[in-house]
Amino acid sequence: MALTPLKQIATRHRGHFLTLSPSLCSLVCGKRVNFMGVYRRPGEPRETVWPWKKIEFSFAKGVDGIYKHLGLLKDEMFQRFVGPQGRPIKEHMLEQTQVQWEFRGPESLSQWVVSSDREIGGRSEAYLKLGRNNTTCLLYGTICTTPPRDGETRYSGYCTLCSKQPRMSFDRKRHYDWSSFNSLHLRIRGDGRPWMINIGAETYFSHQSDDLYNYVLYTRGGPYWEDVKIPFSKFFLSSRGRVQDEQHQLWLDKVNTIGFTTGNEADGPFQLEIDFIGLCNDRAHTEEFAYEMYKRNP
Amino acid sequence: MNSAPCLLRIKNVKALTLCLRAIAPTAALFRSPHARSPFMHSCSVQHSLRSLHGTGALLKIQPIDKDYGGKSGHEGDRDKSLVTHDELFERVARMSRTKATFNRVLDAFVKQDVRRRGHVEFIYAALKKMPEFGVERDIAVYNKLLDIFPKEVFVPRNFIQRMYNHYPRQQECGLEVLEQMENHGLMPNVETKVLLVQIFGVKSHPVRKYQRLMYWFPRFKNLNPYPVPHQLSQDPIELARFSLSRIAADLDAKVTVYQLPYTDVIESGEEVSQPYIVGIQSPDQRSLLAQHCTNRPVFVEGPFPLWLRKTCIYYYVLRADPLPPEEKVEEPFDPDRSFFYPLQLDLDLERDMGDDDSFDVDEVEEGPVFAMCMVGRGDQATLGQWISALQETNPVLGRTATLFRLESGPRELQSAAEPEPAPETEAEPGPTEEEEPLRSHGAKQ
Repeated sequence: MALTPLKQIATRHRGHFLTLSPSLCSLVCGKRVNFMGVYRRPGEPRETVWPWKKIEFSFAKGVDGIYKHLGLLKDEMFQRFVGPQGRPIKEHMLEQTQVQWEFRGPESLSQWVVSSDREIGGRSEAYLKLGRNNTTCLLYGTICTTPPRDGETRYSGYCTLCSKQPRMSFDRKRHYDWSSFNSLHLRIRGDGRPWMINIGAETYFSHQSDDLYNYVLYTRGGPYWEDVKIPFSKFFLSSRGRVQDEQHQLWLDKVNTIGFTTGNEADGPFQLEIDFIGLCNDRAHTEEFAYEMYKRNP
Repeated sequence: MNSAPCLLRIKNVKALTLCLRAIAPTAALFRSPHARSPFMHSCSVQHSLRSLHGTGALLKIQPIDKDYGGKSGHEGDRDKSLVTHDELFERVARMSRTKATFNRVLDAFVKQDVRRRGHVEFIYAALKKMPEFGVERDIAVYNKLLDIFPKEVFVPRNFIQRMYNHYPRQQECGLEVLEQMENHGLMPNVETKVLLVQIFGVKSHPVRKYQRLMYWFPRFKNLNPYPVPHQLSQDPIELARFSLSRIAADLDAKVTVYQLPYTDVIESGEEVSQPYIVGIQSPDQRSLLAQHCTNRPVFVEGPFPLWLRKTCIYYYVLRADPLPPEEKVEEPFDPDRSFFYPLQLDLDLERDMGDDDSFDVDEVEEGPVFAMCMVGRGDQATLGQWISALQETNPVLGRTATLFRLESGPRELQSAAEPEPAPETEAEPGPTEEEEPLRSHGAKQ
């Protein structure tokens, strides 16, 4: 894949833009990319502990790590004799659909992280559990849009479900290669609230680390499941909750995470039930990117 | 106050003499705000500079000065509070909160001072008050709000000003107005653009924001496949009809209003109000229910939430448990059902190299849904009325036991205000209170 860093240098010139999930970004405009690390709540004192002080060393942990990583390494070594990504070559080449995430049993929930505006001091709650017959995942909770009283945060009330970054042996990053598909297929059941799908792809520079590709997922509500198919060409680029002026299509060869966010400023309960998240190849869809890529706002 | 830089910029001697006369009052004008707030020394210098540039401003100096003198008494007590302009709105809000009164406050502010002193604070206060007055989705009001900014004062005039963030506080305020429009999904119009260009100049941050809004809003406008109007119907029956046909996802489904809300007086003199019952059932659901085995109970479950923008309404579902795998019967294909094409094909698809567009997942085992309803009061008696009304078209229900799995949910249909305890609507059959079967008559007796 032609993922040259030069190309990326040329494409990035940041301007802040429309708010996606307002609470993620409390600044109005004017500030370009700023390199703050982890979010620190206003008024919270700076951490004075050295980073190496926070690592707890233990012999048992080390032994566990060796077992885990050597096991992963062994898998990686022997998988390549079966075929790419441990699957037979025929299956790999001929597949038109792929189920990337499904929820079968409690261990499948460990691949996901739930967060809400608790982190910024809000009062929303979000929980994740298996559905009624242990074959779906149910994200539920309540949204409360009261912003925290810290004087800076202006919006609040969101919750997020995000998949974890997959890792290979020795904690190297593993990426999903979806380049043979062009659509995202979800089977969901919501309650009428709109959601936003965030796809995080691997980036080259550190100032792109907050880049996400987003699209909106509308739910119908009601007791029936619905199949949603979203072409990847519709995803637009945003950074720190702002849609960027200079858009770029999502490169599917190195996808890290997928996330679901809601925050439509309506106080009350919410729920989203996901059966599976899959990828499919829609041969009728030929669009590469849905938004203009010429230089805007020169 | 340092007025030397102002003087340096004046080239015309004639203008100099004119302006020397003029500087005295302007300096007096700006001394007081400068002394009051330590905010931006240079800003006030620039202000006086601006007034020198514009000839119109020179001519008006005399009346403004008089005006200002009259106002200084009010200025004094306004200083005491940090929020200066809230009380303007509060005073009007005591009478009525409408668009007309909101506009009157804006007019009053504009008339108060030709220089629009403190307009940034005023606009922030007005933005905060807009939802109270019910004008947060009115483009004309936003334009009027932007009109408060003095024109052509904040437009950068040379490349250095253009390079830096010219009048950042005013630009941020303009951005704030646009952001509130954006948050309410309101698209700016040409008037907004003209105003922004007049106030901040082309290529300023607010104009940029305007351009972005105009670029992205039309793209995202018709994204929702299940559109909801901005103004939902106030009539609960209309609302129930709309939302039931939305969640039924079947064009054949028919909405039936089983009972209209009414109040009647019984003999003892008490007033009894009957809630409304609106249900929906499609022909497919009816045939499913007709095939339902009568010795298995059907369940009335709920309330489940449904969100339409910012209102939450609740619906109830009549459903059965999924059949255990040993009782499932494969329906045999009847080859005579269609003479024109075969209903079953037995092709050797292994020879084809792929193009299998199905997903390799197990189906989620769930019981069939037979009907849905929305009621004005979610108690068992009302839902029993619904079931008995359903019996007219579905005689199977008369022979089947009906169980009510109702959660201690909200009894009111529309209560989006207070957050409830964590809803375990879909997932847990455990804590739901299984009540006694209301009617288990018919076949078993």
